Amino acid sequence: MKIGKAKKLALFAALALMTASGLFAQTTTPPPQTFSTTIYFDYSFWATNNGYITNTDPKVNANPMTNKFAFRRAYFTYENKISPGLKFRFRIDADNTGRLTATSGTKDDRLVPFVKHIYLDWTGLLPNSSLKIGMTETMAFKIAEDRWGLRSVAKTLVDGYKDLTGADIRTSSADLGVNLTGAISKELRYGAMVMNGEGYSHPELNKYKKYGGYLQVVPTAGLNIWGYAEYEKLSDKPEAAKMYKVDVYFDMVPGLNISGEWFTYDSDTKFNKITNADGTTTNSHFNIGGFSVFSTYKIIPDKLLVFARYDGYRPDSTNGNKDLSLIIAGADWTPIHSSWKIQPNVWFYNYKDSAKKSDIIVNLTFFLTF
Amino acid sequence: MFYTKFKKWIAMAELALALVFTPILIAQTKKMIQVKGSDTMVNLVQILAEEYMTKNPKAAPIAVLGGGSGTGITALINGTCDIANHSRDITAKEINQAWERGIKPRTFAIAVDGLSIIVNEKNPLNQMTMDQVGAIYRGDVKNWQVVGGPKMAISLYGRQSNSGTYSFLQEHVLKNKNFSPDVKEMNGNAQIIEGVMADQAAIGYVGVGYVIDKTTGKPMKGLKVINISKDEKSQGYSPMDKEAVDTGKYPIARALWQSTNGKPGAAAAAFLQFELGPEGQKIVEREGFYPIGAKYIEANTKNLK
Repeated sequence: MKIGKAKKLALFAALALMTASGLFAQTTTPPPQTFSTTIYFDYSFWATNNGYITNTDPKVNANPMTNKFAFRRAYFTYENKISPGLKFRFRIDADNTGRLTATSGTKDDRLVPFVKHIYLDWTGLLPNSSLKIGMTETMAFKIAEDRWGLRSVAKTLVDGYKDLTGADIRTSSADLGVNLTGAISKELRYGAMVMNGEGYSHPELNKYKKYGGYLQVVPTAGLNIWGYAEYEKLSDKPEAAKMYKVDVYFDMVPGLNISGEWFTYDSDTKFNKITNADGTTTNSHFNIGGFSVFSTYKIIPDKLLVFARYDGYRPDSTNGNKDLSLIIAGADWTPIHSSWKIQPNVWFYNYKDSAKKSDIIVNLTFFLTF
Repeated sequence: MFYTKFKKWIAMAELALALVFTPILIAQTKKMIQVKGSDTMVNLVQILAEEYMTKNPKAAPIAVLGGGSGTGITALINGTCDIANHSRDITAKEINQAWERGIKPRTFAIAVDGLSIIVNEKNPLNQMTMDQVGAIYRGDVKNWQVVGGPKMAISLYGRQSNSGTYSFLQEHVLKNKNFSPDVKEMNGNAQIIEGVMADQAAIGYVGVGYVIDKTTGKPMKGLKVINISKDEKSQGYSPMDKEAVDTGKYPIARALWQSTNGKPGAAAAAFLQFELGPEGQKIVEREGFYPIGAKYIEANTKNLK
């Protein structure tokens, strides 16, 4: 017997209502809601003036910058705990569009707000799991960012070098899709994600999806080993973007964290772009890779933490002369209240290219959250 | 040659090392036991700490802060306290987080609490079931008349979500459903008591140690402690009935916990031993809570080793 269109619609509506009532049955009253804001800005001083960042080539940079105040991020987050197992998040991010190399602003370089997260977080699907549906954090950056914990000071390895080197990794801190994380036991956790692959700044542009996943092993308290892989087919030809990442975190001495991250990224020629000094882009086949070792130490809990990090980065596997390294050292000081932190930090850039001298940048970063 | 090329870097490294190690050396000269967490426990543990320090003037000083059980457990996981106070169990998620961070919590029951449901003394109601209390706090019942009280809109007083008492009530009485958004979220037990005393339509929940007037041994003036029954057919019991709390007849009794990262260090262990010993348990009773029974003593002794 053929079911009429109206009946089908009614059936669908009834099913949708049943599903919704199942999900929301736990709540009889409006849920708790929270609003929060996180902002960071800094004063930066270039102690040197002749490296990659402040390129002295007059064609590129006729008026090198020596110091500046900059707002780097402002997040506004709304969270709604619909029921003990269901949460909704909406986050707006305002990003500084001005690049470190900019010598004169464009017509409008104001912070530009955009939607970073819109997702439902359901913790009831599997035991000890979280299923996020919508525009959600990706796993590529989050694993290291959570452990580094100093996003206001610097991005982590995979995320941090695009502007500086022009080598574009086709991955993003947030994307539209479905994200499942959980723990099988305290020794073994997992994560899997299916997403558009375009990040938070573009709608889906092709029929292919990006797949990512990790396994986290914690064989003994404080020793974490993560293996992460992501894959995205890029066209009907055998073209794909692939990233493999290993993270190891050592948290076995009270107050001290030592972490390491390694990754390699490979994508097809057509999609592998590098931005040249004159702003044009070149397509070629190369891998991008690097490693990062960082450490934090709590000197006075909740008050003073010191940190240091070393990154080795290879933006083009076919040209070792583009390699660079970065050392970051600094402190995270909470003088009065946890809503306000001061983070003095120093960055030392060193370049393989002998024509480029080192860069030293001194930052005084202010972190506000409320 | 090497030194000339890298002298700038070496100087910077020296400066960085000095910046790192000078505060470490300063910090290491100060040894203080940091205790953080449950607001239900903060007064009790402060008194225990004061008496311990008075009796042991050479012992490490102890700083006791509130903030809620969730805050205390998070502080333990983040390594920012030595002892976490919590009036609810550590969740599976928190145990996983702790394991990831190299923290192996060891728990010690230091007292037993009868979670008390209180109303204004002018409220004629004397007894309620667990279900009735749950329905009131979920916002399903909004008038006292529905549960046998006067015709008067119910005024809800409670705690924030980082409170262990909030979580305990949500799990055991609200059956894991949400609190009504009409709950006035107070900063601690003392504020709930003030609110209930001043509001004839009020209902609140606090640790039993907060409702007793220590001079009379009875509920504080202005408050009434409601007898709670498991269901309509059961008898109601007061949280001030020690035997009912001990035997589990009072349905919302709970242990008050302290946790350390692994085996407690010598200073923290000495303080714990004082709390769990006869002197400490006498203070627990004096402050209106109940001393721990045999089942907890055995586990505590094992965890101290």
